[in-house]
Amino acid sequence: MIKLTIEALSQYNGDHNTPLYIAYKGKIYDVSSSFLWKGGKHQVLHKAGQDLTEELEHAPHGADLLKRVPCIGQLVE
Amino acid sequence: MARVAREMVERSGINVDELVELLVKNASAELTTYYYYTILRVNLIGLKGEGLKEIAEAARIEDRNHFEALVPRIYELGGALPASMNDFHDISACPPAPLPEDPTNIEAMLKVFVNAERCAVRGYTQICNMTAGKDHRTYDLALAILNEEIEHESWFSEFLGEGPSGHFLRRGENSPFVSKFLK
Ligand code: HEM
Repeated sequence: MIKLTIEALSQYNGDHNTPLYIAYKGKIYDVSSSFLWKGGKHQVLHKAGQDLTEELEHAPHGADLLKRVPCIGQLVE
Repeated sequence: MARVAREMVERSGINVDELVELLVKNASAELTTYYYYTILRVNLIGLKGEGLKEIAEAARIEDRNHFEALVPRIYELGGALPASMNDFHDISACPPAPLPEDPTNIEAMLKVFVNAERCAVRGYTQICNMTAGKDHRTYDLALAILNEEIEHESWFSEFLGEGPSGHFLRRGENSPFVSKFLK
């Protein structure tokens, strides 16, 4: 399990040849192998490298879909 | 491009470039699903498979109709389809719907169908949410498509034993909701 601050997480957005990570409710998920997160963007509106807790509130699905991608760490202060 | 039509959508507060990108991604999902469903449908054989063939075919044809109906709206709003079919496939709003390893496994086949339909239901719900009360024409189109996608989801989910949905097979013409956009 890795630990990342929000600043460190922002590196994992697809711009630097790194894996693609997103955060939700303090947990970090690796979306690198998801077809739906190609290039670090999801459904035009959402970007990897960010805490998307708030954004998921307005999505047409719930947090259950996060089970489809590996949880790899924790967001820290 | 329909200049004033685009301007009206911009003035409603919608980010038109984002909306167009979403429409293109969903148009890709429709056309690629049409392609993958073609392969699924030809493999629906045998006693169990034949029973699914008719709804698979209706969903396949209606998904192609959705693609046809989305394209004019994309261009009206100043968008365009990618020149490369490869690129178009890869930007789909939904993942591929591949033939299961064992096509005689009807449950596996049904799961591919129902997952594809569920992805579409979520996608058009999002477009309806973004456009409601603002971009009337895109909303009307997305709602018409959503109505058909929900019926497709219901057909396949009933076969998976998820309970009744109150729907029956298409009788008569395909695309009862979207056909007005195809005339
Ligand atoms: C407007 C916002 C959003 C839209 C329109 C959207 C749409 C979708 C759709 C259509 C799917 C496929 C669902 C299916 O197969 O039934 C999906 C999957 C997924 N979404 Fe979203 N979503 C949004 C926001 C978010 C946010 C904010 C997150 C992260 C917190 C997220 C994480 C995921 C994940 C992890 C998957 C599964 C990916 C996979 O199966 O590879 N989504 N989303």
